[in-house]
Amino acid sequence: MAAARRLKRVVASQPGFLNFKSSSESLSGRRKRVNKNKKKSWNKHSDINDVEEFLEDVRLQERTTGGLLAEKSDDSLFFLDVGQPKRAERKAEPIEGKKRKGKTPRPLRIDLILQQDSLIPAPKDVLAYQQPNAKKLRRISQKAEQLAAKGVVTRRQKRLLSRRPVTKEAKKSDTEANNNPNRDYYDIWGQEQSTVKDSAEDWYLQQTGKKRVKRPEKLSDRPSVLPAVEVIAPGGSYNPDFFSHQALLKEAHEVEVKKQKEEDKLERQLAVNKDDTATEETVIREQVEGLVEEEEEEDEEEAAHDEEDEDAEGGSSLAKKKTERQRKREKADKIKELRRLDSKRQMDHRQQLFQLRSIKASIKQQEQSTEDKQKIRKANQEAEKSQPRRLGKLKFQAQDLEVQLSDELAGSLRQLKPEGSVLKDRFKSLQKRNLIEPRERAKFKRRHKLKYVEKRAFRAIT
Amino acid sequence: MGGLQKKKYERGSVTNYITRNKARKKLRLSLPDFRRLCILKGIYPHEPKHKKKVNKGSTAPRTFYLIKDIRFLLHEPIVGKFRDYKVFVRKLKKAYGKTEWSAVERLRENKPTYKLDHIIKERYPSFIDALRDIDDALCMCFLFSTFARTGKCHVQTIQLCRRLTVEWMNYVVAARALRKVFISIKGIYYQAEVMGQLITWLVPYQFSHDHPTDVDYRVMATFTELYTTLLGFINFRLYHSLNLLYPPKKLSALSASLARMVSSAEEEEAQLDQFPVEGEDMEKLEAREREQKEQEAQKKLFDGLKFFLNREVPRESLAFVIRCFGGEVSWDKSVCIGSTYEVTEETITHHIVDRPNASTQYINRYYIQPQWVYDCINAKIVLPVEDYFLGVTLPPHLSPFVEEKEGDYMPPEKVKIMALQRGEKPEQEDEEEEDEDEDEEEEEDDNDDEEEDEEEDEEESEEKNLKKMEKQRSQGKSLQVKVTPGKMKVENPERLEQEEKAEEKRLAIMMMKKKEKYLYDKIMFGKKRKIREANKLTAKRKAHDDAEKANKKKTRK
Repeated sequence: MAAARRLKRVVASQPGFLNFKSSSESLSGRRKRVNKNKKKSWNKHSDINDVEEFLEDVRLQERTTGGLLAEKSDDSLFFLDVGQPKRAERKAEPIEGKKRKGKTPRPLRIDLILQQDSLIPAPKDVLAYQQPNAKKLRRISQKAEQLAAKGVVTRRQKRLLSRRPVTKEAKKSDTEANNNPNRDYYDIWGQEQSTVKDSAEDWYLQQTGKKRVKRPEKLSDRPSVLPAVEVIAPGGSYNPDFFSHQALLKEAHEVEVKKQKEEDKLERQLAVNKDDTATEETVIREQVEGLVEEEEEEDEEEAAHDEEDEDAEGGSSLAKKKTERQRKREKADKIKELRRLDSKRQMDHRQQLFQLRSIKASIKQQEQSTEDKQKIRKANQEAEKSQPRRLGKLKFQAQDLEVQLSDELAGSLRQLKPEGSVLKDRFKSLQKRNLIEPRERAKFKRRHKLKYVEKRAFRAIT
Repeated sequence: MGGLQKKKYERGSVTNYITRNKARKKLRLSLPDFRRLCILKGIYPHEPKHKKKVNKGSTAPRTFYLIKDIRFLLHEPIVGKFRDYKVFVRKLKKAYGKTEWSAVERLRENKPTYKLDHIIKERYPSFIDALRDIDDALCMCFLFSTFARTGKCHVQTIQLCRRLTVEWMNYVVAARALRKVFISIKGIYYQAEVMGQLITWLVPYQFSHDHPTDVDYRVMATFTELYTTLLGFINFRLYHSLNLLYPPKKLSALSASLARMVSSAEEEEAQLDQFPVEGEDMEKLEAREREQKEQEAQKKLFDGLKFFLNREVPRESLAFVIRCFGGEVSWDKSVCIGSTYEVTEETITHHIVDRPNASTQYINRYYIQPQWVYDCINAKIVLPVEDYFLGVTLPPHLSPFVEEKEGDYMPPEKVKIMALQRGEKPEQEDEEEEDEDEDEEEEEDDNDDEEEDEEEDEEESEEKNLKKMEKQRSQGKSLQVKVTPGKMKVENPERLEQEEKAEEKRLAIMMMKKKEKYLYDKIMFGKKRKIREANKLTAKRKAHDDAEKANKKKTRK
């Protein structure tokens, strides 16, 4: 509403404007009287546009040209156009735009926009340079300089200097840890002579529970006779001799052949003969078995006859009671049998005298065989000592031989590509020597089964 | 019936064993803690003879420990520390959960730690016991020192391992204890003799790093914990035995020599007195003396020689090995700290390069491949440099850990080396023969080779004479079979002795009983078979060499 009124006022002040009310009211000359004492009413009813325009114009001139145009000299504003050669102009323009290929990149447009483009410098921010107690600080520093020049140390300074510097001690846990890289070693075997044990001291230690328990002697036995480091065969050299390399390859080959044989064996066991698979014919024949009577009737009858005859001969004999006679006979037979056996045994005894030599020979043979078996068993035991023992759930898996094929062999040390990992080798060696049990990486077992659920959207589709 | 009835599985071997889980519960430790304890104390599981009895009738595979061992473990003070650590972890988790950072700091500062010194003293009561077990310790420490410093295992452990391995290598250099080196595809094997013990260890290559996933790192870390402690104490003792300062300073470059505790400038080269051990003959004494002299000579193998290592050769290994035998070594400054002299130094005698061609050639030095150094050490003499020049196909690197008995196959390179050791120079003869043969027919060359092969089986003292005869034959001269009485007389007594000995042997064989003869025949058969196989192999090798020669000629033509 105010804007509309303002607009009306402006329009009305234009020179050729014919007011609706003006002709009737201008004659009377009646105008409402306005009080312009207060700022508000003055601002409302006075028109300062012309002054503002003038001032804006002045400011514009100062911003763009650095001063009033009226105060500038003629030379700075005008020049005499004599007609310059055009070549120079052309050279100037393209150079500016494209010369910056390799050197500084073009400035960003945003930087250009944000730069100051008026020729009037911005006013200085006085507050930034103000310090409320600058004088005081200046005075203090001057005094301190004077004292330092004289050599006097103030009490405060003395106290600061006498305070101990903060030495950050290395953490106790780090220095005392077993794997501290700067740890100290001492002569652990050197005090052998110094331990003179008194019997009294011994007793005291034992009673107070401070005596070290003796280590059982069996623990000092090595669990395996194998050496700690087994050197690889001469074929494992980085530049091996022909035959030793072939020997090593042969060993590796044999291991592979063994593996292959086992796999083949498994395959053979699982193999299915193609002829055994059921075809339609065989299926039908199986189903129809016994139902087709035409051809096979005669065969069946013959078969039936044979069976009957056999049955007739066998005859079912019902069990009859044994008569006295039969029982007596049986007893007599038994006694006879016993007597016979007895006499036979006595005869054997007597004859054995004559068989001494052969008996001796057979005894000797038995002894020999037991001795041989003992030897073999002992040899097996000895061999087992060098084998890794079964110490747990997993069996020991020997690692593959480290072999480089003939075309992988490097001619020089520089081109050598190492084979196998020493870490794994050491781990396996520890297992082989029965120091640890063979271990496998722990698998991730889920406690509860995973449930798969379809998304709602998919459920609608499928 | 009344009376005492025997229950099953209450006496006998069952009472000696205990299963792993029961043992763990007895000690009230978690499984990883139990495992760590067993590794540290050296307690291993046992496999009982009659598993079924011990397992109370079942055949399920279980891990058994001896009850006495577990009872011994109960008295171990470290068990308390493990329990403290468990409590510490629990408190720390709580503090983290409640975000009480001051509590976390405080707890971390007072983290419970333990030391393994008493365990070492208990497991290895004397120094020699510890030395016997040092193989494993060295391998582990060298292995861990090559690990990358990621967070997989404690960085401090890796640093400690590095320090200990460098100390050990410097000790070996100072004591000149290294005896054998073998470069294999797995790593480098070294063997040193320390205080009468032969110690073998394996150093992996620096540039091979695959971390296999099926290795239990915790177990390896526990072993390393124990072994670092052990190795540290052993190092201390060894350094003191040589009157050297421990811990030494500024060692990582392996080029500086160690400071001496007692400034004794002279080295102890006292002549060993003749200690006539009871029951030893003069022969054995002489043999020992000879061995000692050889060892002394070997220790000064590279004395006076100056080496320079190019960038692409394995610097640490070569520097260690060269310094072990008295040589001086240096490398380019930009490779590592500690290089003593530059490429341009004129007193350098050998420059070790591994490229097919060297860039700038200095006149008074040999440019050789690194295998020369290792082969010299294994052969215990300074080998001729010609076979190891740049661009030459190297002779094969033989393993010094293989000891061939009589009659076994020996590769011709080894024969050459042994000949060199005896002070002959058969390669010159070979060269001459080769030159001549290229002009003449090849048959004679074959003959010579065959005869050379036969000699390997016979006594080697006759090699010299026979080779001379071959040379003469190959040169087309007739054998000079002169009947010089003087010569014959000289040979006669030796010959007679040998003949007598052979006759005696034959008589003894004839007088043997049937059984003994049978055994003797078996033994000789075995020996002869070996010899025959060796012959076969040499023939094969010869065929192979001939084929190669033929190929070379073809390519040349």
